[in-house]
Amino acid sequence: MSGVVAASTTLPSGAGGAPGRGPRPRRMTPARWGIYAFLLITALFFLLPLYVMIATSLKTMDEVRMGNIIALPVNLTLEPWIKAWSSACTGLNCNGIRVGFFNSVKILLPSVFVSIIIGSLTGYALSFWRVRGATLLFAAMMSVAFIPYQIFIYPLVRVFAFLGLGQSLLTIVIVHTIFGLPTMTLLFRNYFASLPAELFKAARVDGAGFYQIYWRIMMPMATPMIVVAIILQVTGIWNDFILGLVFAGRENLPMTVQLNNIVNTTQGERAYNVDMAATMLTALLPLVVYFGSGRWFVRGIAAGAVKG
Amino acid sequence: MMRSFFATASLVAMVTAASPAAAQEMKAEVIHWWTSGGESAAVKVFADQFTKAGGTWVDSAVAGGANARTAAINRTVGGNPPAMMQFNTGKQFDELVEGGMLIDVDALATEGKWKSVMPEAIVNAATRNGKMFAVPINIHGQNWIWFNKQVLDSVGAAEPKSWDDAIAIMDKVKARGIIPLAFSGQKVWERGLFNAVLLDKGGPALWNGLYSKRDQAMVKGADFRAAAETYAKLRSYVDPGSPGRNWNDATALVIQGKAAMQLMGDWAKGEFASAGKVAGKDFGCAIIGSKGGGYVMGGDIFAFPKLKDPAAAKAQVTLAKLLVEPETQILFNQKKGSIPVRIDVDASRLDLCAQKAMKLVADKSQQVASVEMLAPPAMNGALEDVYSQYWNTPSMTVDQFVDKVISVLKQQM
Amino acid sequence: MSLARFRLSSRAAAASSLLPAFLVMLVVYIGSTGWTVWMSLTSSRMLPNNTFVGLRQYEILFSNDRWLTSVHNLVLFGLLFVAASLVLGFLLAVAIDQKVRAEDTLRSVFLYPYSMSFVVTGLVWQWLLNPTHGIQKLVRDWGFPEFAFDWIVRQDTVIYCLVLGGVWHAAGLVMAIMLAGLRGIDEDIWKAARVDGLPVWRVYLSIVIPMLGASFATAGVLLSTSVVRLYDLSVSMTNGGPGIASEVPAKFVMDHLFERQNIGLATAAATSMLVTVVSVVAPYLFWRVRKAGVR
Repeated sequence: MSGVVAASTTLPSGAGGAPGRGPRPRRMTPARWGIYAFLLITALFFLLPLYVMIATSLKTMDEVRMGNIIALPVNLTLEPWIKAWSSACTGLNCNGIRVGFFNSVKILLPSVFVSIIIGSLTGYALSFWRVRGATLLFAAMMSVAFIPYQIFIYPLVRVFAFLGLGQSLLTIVIVHTIFGLPTMTLLFRNYFASLPAELFKAARVDGAGFYQIYWRIMMPMATPMIVVAIILQVTGIWNDFILGLVFAGRENLPMTVQLNNIVNTTQGERAYNVDMAATMLTALLPLVVYFGSGRWFVRGIAAGAVKG
Repeated sequence: MMRSFFATASLVAMVTAASPAAAQEMKAEVIHWWTSGGESAAVKVFADQFTKAGGTWVDSAVAGGANARTAAINRTVGGNPPAMMQFNTGKQFDELVEGGMLIDVDALATEGKWKSVMPEAIVNAATRNGKMFAVPINIHGQNWIWFNKQVLDSVGAAEPKSWDDAIAIMDKVKARGIIPLAFSGQKVWERGLFNAVLLDKGGPALWNGLYSKRDQAMVKGADFRAAAETYAKLRSYVDPGSPGRNWNDATALVIQGKAAMQLMGDWAKGEFASAGKVAGKDFGCAIIGSKGGGYVMGGDIFAFPKLKDPAAAKAQVTLAKLLVEPETQILFNQKKGSIPVRIDVDASRLDLCAQKAMKLVADKSQQVASVEMLAPPAMNGALEDVYSQYWNTPSMTVDQFVDKVISVLKQQM
Repeated sequence: MSLARFRLSSRAAAASSLLPAFLVMLVVYIGSTGWTVWMSLTSSRMLPNNTFVGLRQYEILFSNDRWLTSVHNLVLFGLLFVAASLVLGFLLAVAIDQKVRAEDTLRSVFLYPYSMSFVVTGLVWQWLLNPTHGIQKLVRDWGFPEFAFDWIVRQDTVIYCLVLGGVWHAAGLVMAIMLAGLRGIDEDIWKAARVDGLPVWRVYLSIVIPMLGASFATAGVLLSTSVVRLYDLSVSMTNGGPGIASEVPAKFVMDHLFERQNIGLATAAATSMLVTVVSVVAPYLFWRVRKAGVR
C-alpha cells in the first residue's frame, strides 16, 4: 500500500496524467508496480472460490467425494454442465434449469426498467424539489428497508388476493418495484444531491419544468449511477427466489426455482458438480451485464455542462 | 382465402368446444419437495399411476420442506390452492384443518381399511377431531445406525445393541485412527443424535413424557440426565471437521471406511447404493433401543385443500386412493428408501434394511412416533436450539442443560 | 410568463411523481409494518390469529439465547463488514481508476461474487475454510504442519468467517459505486492539484474523499441494509453454527416464520429490529431537518 502513497509525490505532468482521461502513463514507477501488485493479490483472493467452483463442476462425483477441493480434475468432464442445463431433476420433471431461463428474462426486463424509472424519479424529486414531508418519506422508506422483506410476504399475498391480482407476471413486477424502491431512491437521491446546484438553477432559469430537467439533464448525467442501479437490480431480481416462487405464478417461475430444486434437496443425494455448474449458469447473465457495463463507467459530462 | 381460413378456424373451435370428455380431464397440481434424482424417480411412480387412472399430474416441486410448505400455504391462503400438498407426518398442517381449508379423507380411509393396516401412531398423526385429514404415504426411520462392516469386523465388533455398546466399539475404533462417529454438525442432526440417545436411555416412556406430555419432572429425572451425559460423551468421538458438514458427506466417510458409523435416517441408503455398496456385505444397519421401543417413525403425508372445481375434486379422490395401493406403495418406497406405510405388503421385494424396518414396525412395542408427530414445530425448533447449544458448548453442565430444556417447555403457549 | 405560476406547476409535478412512492409506502410498508407489530402481540403460529397475548412473545424473545447471540453477532459482523467493505472497495476503485490495463477484466473479477447465489458460494467458502478439507489442510500439505486456520469450527471466531464471505461478496459493488463517483469528479480538480504541486495521497485524502461523500453514504447505507438482511450467507456457510455461534437476526426471523411456524415470535424479532433502526435513524433525521433549509 505504501507504494501507492509514498513513492510518487507529484502527479506526472505532461502525459495527460489525470486519472481517467488521456493516455496511459507509460513509465512503470514503483507506485504503479504497487498498484498492480495490490490488484493482483486481491484478485487472487476473489478468484479462489471461482476456481474451486469451476474445478468441481468439471469433476465426476467420485472424484469430488474422494479428492481434494483444490486439485485439478483428473477425469475432465463436461457432463455436469450439460446435466445442469438440460437434464437435472427439479421435481418430477428432469429438464434442468433451462426451463426457467426465459421466465427469468420475462420477469427481469420490465422489473428493472420500471423500478429504475420510478426510483430515479423519486430520488430526483426528493433531492432538488422542496416537497413537504420529503425527508420524512425518505427516512421512513429507508427504515423499512432494514426489515427482512420475507415478513411482508404474507400481508402482500392477502393484498394482492384482495385486489384480484393473484399470481402473475404483473404481480411479480409490482412486487420487485416495491422492494426495490428504497434502494433505487437512495442511489439516485444521493447522486443527484452531489451534483452542483448551479446545474439545476441554470435549467430552471432557462424555463425548464420538472420532467424536462429530469429527462434532458439529470438522467443523462446520471449514467454511471444508472449503471450501478442496473447492476443492483439485475442481480437482485435475477437471483431472487422466494418472491418469484410466491408471486409469479406457475407459468412464470424463474430459473432460481429450478436452481433451488437442484441444489437444496434435504434428503436426496447431492451432486456437487452439477450444483456448481447450475450456479454458474445462473450467474452468467448478471456477469455479462457486469462485463458489458464497462464502457458506461466513463467520466460524466458534468464538468463540461457547467463550464459551457 | 381469408374466408376459408375463418371457416376452418370456427369449425375447429366448435369441435373443440363440443368435446366434453376432453374438457373434463383430471388435472391435479401437486406441491412437494422431492427434487433430487432418486426422489424424482419415486414421485414418478405416483405420477405414472395417476396417468394410468386417466389423470394429469402437474408438478410444482420446491426443494426445501419449509419452502414448499410456504409456497403451498400462501397459495391456499391466497385463494389459488394446489390439488395436493406435502407435509411431514405430524403437526405441520394443524392450522389448515382448524381453518377449514382441507377436505377430510375419512370416507376413503374407511373404504380402504387404512386404520387396520397402518401403524396407529401414523393414523393418529393424520387424524384431527376423529377424522383423517391427510394421506400418509410412507414411513421414514429416523434413528438408524449405519456402520461400515469392514471397520467393525476389524475390531471384532458386532452391531451395537445400545449406546454404551456403541461407545465401546468407538473406543476400539478410535485406537486404530479411524473416526468413530461420522457426524454432521448441523442443528437438525445434533437434535437427531440427542433424540436417539434419549430413546435408548429412557425408552418410549421418557420420549412420550417429554415430547407429548411435556413432563418437567421427567426431564429432571435420572434417565434424562443419563442421556445428557452420554450425549456429551459422544462429543469426543467426532472429528474436528464435523461442524457444518452436510449429512451425505458424513455418510461418504463411512462408505470409504474413514469412519465407523453414522446415525442417520433411512435416506442414507441411497448414498450407499449409488456408491455401489451392498447391505449386509459392505455396510450394516441397526436400530438401538435398549429400554424397549426403538424405531422412530417419521414420514410424509399429503393433504388436500378444498377446491371449487368438481373435476379437480374428483382428481383429488382418485389420487388419494392410489397413493395407498399396495403395489404403488412398494414401487414408490423402493425408490424413496422409506418403507410402505401399510404393513400388509410383501416385504420380500424390499432391500435388507427395509425388511428389517418392516419387521420392527409390525411390532407395536417398537413403534415410536417422531417428535414432529408429538410436538408443534415451534417447540421442536426451540429444543433443537438448546440441544445444539449443549453439543457445541463443552463447558455447559448437565444442570444448565436441564434448566434450558425446562424453560422451553414452560414457554409453550 | 409568471415565474410563480411556472414554479407551482412544476412543484405539483414534483409532488405527483412522488405519488407512487407515497402510495407504496402507505399500503405496503406502513400497512405491513403495522400488521407485523400487531402479530407480535398475538400467539400466531403458522397462520395469523388474533389472540392477544400482550408482550409475552417479547419476554420469550429476550430470554432466548439464540436471539441474544444473533443480535450480538450482527453488531460485530456489521461493524467489521461495513468498515472492511468500504475500505477495500474504495482502494480497489482508486487503483482501477489509475488507468490500469485490462480494466474491464479486473472490474469483473471484483464484481462477479455479487452475481452469484449465496447458496452455492457459501458452500464453497465452507469447504475452503473447513480445517480438514480446505485451506488449513492445503497449507499444511505444503509443509507448514503448525498452520491453523480453523476459524469456522470455533464458536469464538466463526463470525469472522462470515465477515470474510461478506466482504468477498460486497466489496465489488462498493468499488462500482466509488468508481462511478470518482469518474464524476471534475477533471479541473486534478489539474488544479497538479498546479499546486500536491502529492497524490493528499489529493485523495483531503479533496477526493470528501467529494465522494455521497458515494460513501450510498455504499454505507446499502451495506448496512444488507447487514441487517444477512441471511443467505449465514445459512449456507455455517447454518448458524457451530451451535448458535453464527446466528443472525434475519435468519432467526426467517426460521421462525417458515420452518418453525411461529409467526408471533418472528414478528416480535422483526419489530425489535425495526425499533432499533428507527431509534438510530430518528435522531439523525431530526438533526438533518434542523440543518436543512439551505437548498
